[in-house]
Formats: sequence, C-alpha cells, structure tokens
Amino acid sequence: MAMKPEDVLRAIAAARGDAICVPTMTTSPAWRTLAPDDLSIGCVGFMGGASSLGLGLALAMPRRRVVVFDGDGSLLMQLGSLATIAGAAPRNLTHLIFKNGVYHTSGAQEIPGGLTVDFVQMAKGAGYRKAYAVTEFDEFKRRLPSMFSDEGPVLVELHTGLADKTPMTDRGGLPFNQQVDNLRKKLDTAS
Amino acid sequence: MPESIPAPLIIDTLKDTFREARGRSTREPLGWILSVPDTHQKTVLAALDKERALRVVTCATEDEANAVAAGLWIGGEPCVLMIQHAGLYASVNTLRGVAMDGRVPIFYMIGLLSREKDRDLKDSRHSMVRYAEPLLDTFGVPHARLEGPDDMHRIPEYYRLSRERRGPAAVLVGLETT
Repeated sequence: MAMKPEDVLRAIAAARGDAICVPTMTTSPAWRTLAPDDLSIGCVGFMGGASSLGLGLALAMPRRRVVVFDGDGSLLMQLGSLATIAGAAPRNLTHLIFKNGVYHTSGAQEIPGGLTVDFVQMAKGAGYRKAYAVTEFDEFKRRLPSMFSDEGPVLVELHTGLADKTPMTDRGGLPFNQQVDNLRKKLDTAS
Repeated sequence: MPESIPAPLIIDTLKDTFREARGRSTREPLGWILSVPDTHQKTVLAALDKERALRVVTCATEDEANAVAAGLWIGGEPCVLMIQHAGLYASVNTLRGVAMDGRVPIFYMIGLLSREKDRDLKDSRHSMVRYAEPLLDTFGVPHARLEGPDDMHRIPEYYRLSRERRGPAAVLVGLETT
C-alpha cells in the first residue's frame, strides 16, 4: 500500500533539524501546517523548479542540509536538472520524489509514463551519489536519518498515494517573493 | 560599429563586480557563473575553465539557471546567468515567476548569436536577434548593449540595477567574444 504523503511529511518535520526544505505542489499545503514558520521555501509560480532552487540553496549554504520535496510530474518538467545537480555535486542536497503517477493538482491526469517512470535509474544514470526507492512507511522511517546525513546528491523515490489537499483545493500560503524575504531574514543573508 | 570583447576583460569585470557585491566578505568562490553553453560567449566559457575564483555551474536549461540563481541569492551568493537569446525565449515563464514576481535580482548576459556587425538589432535578418530587445521591453526588463570594450562599465551597472530594483536586468553581448 502506498505511503500517505502527510505521514511522510510529519516524519520529516520531526527529523529535519535545521535543514532547509523546498516543498512544491501537493506537499505544500500539508507542509504549511506541519512547519508553518521555519526554514522552508515553496516553489510557487515556476512549476518544475524545486530541484534547481534547492541546488542553488545547497551551493550557497554548503554546511546546511537542503531537502527538496519534488513531485514526479514536477520533476519531469525540468528533468535535465538531474544532470545539472549531479554535475554540481552538492554533498548536502537530498532530493525526495513524491511519486504518485499523476498531476494531482490539475485534476490527477496521468503523467507521461505513469508509475512506470523510474526516477531512481534516471538519477543513477545522471550521476547522483545515491538513489533508491522506498515503498513502505516503516522502511521510510528506518532510512530517514540517513537521508539527512548521506553524502549527496541523494535521490529517494517515495511511492505515495494522493495528498488530502492540493494547492488548488487549499489555496493560501505566502507568495514566492514573501517566502524569499522571510527565508533570507532567517538565514541572515538579507543584508 | 560594434567590436568583439576579449574574454579576459569580461572575466576581470565580473570579478570586480562580485568583489564589490561581497563587500568585506572574502568567501570563495568570488561568484557563480550559471551557464547554458552559448556559442556567442564560448571564449569566455573556455577561459572560465581555468578560473579558480569563479565557479561555473553548467545548467541543462535556462529555466534551471533562473531557479538556481534564486537559491544562490537567498543564500547570499552573487551570480550571473550567461545565456543566449534563444535561451531567453525558452525561459520567459521562469524569468517572470522567479525574477519578476518573485522579486529575485537576476543579472543576465545574453549572447546575440548571428547578430550582424553592420546592422542594428532591429534590422537584423534573424528574428532571434530582432526580438531580444522588444521581448525584454515587453517584460519591463532593463537592458543595455555591450557593443565593445568601452561598454564594460555596463556589467557592474546592470548587476547593481538588478539588486536595487529586486528583479531582472540584462546586458546584450553584441558580437561574439574573442
């Protein structure tokens, strides 16, 4: 049985420490509730950009872990970012793919290739240091600490069901420019 | 008449620009070059391979380069995007979402591949050359031409402008660099 994305996010929220998190699409509403005022920035207004936004943060802040909560449909929009990330080789980047096989936010249309698309093989082929899939929540909890400590870039394909909420059913959250300002203030890079 | 700009001059100007942006910080690298390889600026990219003070991140697409620039800026790091006019056209939605709506300062050096030496941009035979300035105007992106070594002051000027206005600013590299 596929993991519930909310369970996965709850476990991450408890374990992430001071990691910067980059949610996008259907992970955003739940993450806003779980981590309302923390070191996070949602990829809003440029679908597919979460992995690249995370790469920039990871390069700028090499002593801090950066965790991207990507979607399978989102990553397909900028699939070349796998090679870009592997080429830049940030040791502090963890790239989580919430794989559900559909564009949930826009009405659950199947992504090209559906669930057969193998992001683990793609990441390995691109040159990520580590890539693997997790299908069961118990296994996820067991491996979660290493997701924050393994030398990156690391990609983990998480086999999840559909989130309870999407950005279309639960509108809200700050616009990207305000999230940018808030995160800069928290990181003390705004001067 | 436009002139080609030597790569070392561009690199030295970028270093000075980044030094100014960093102020007292001595952190390395001095700055980041986000590049989607561009025939027009290939001598600069080749020379950057030997540079230790600047770090180049080669991106697969200009969309990625814009988002990487946002992450770097949030983390306090200076950068420039070196792309081609075709890449500008390919990435306008990300430019809009990140640099304009997101109010992330992004400085672009845009190569005008196939720009004719003896024609103004608006009279070019090539649509990709003709449309660059009108597209930037449509999006309200301030821009200037680098028509030769005498225009190098435009690089720090438009870099600073991107920071002051919290948005995109661009210089257009007129002829292929040498």
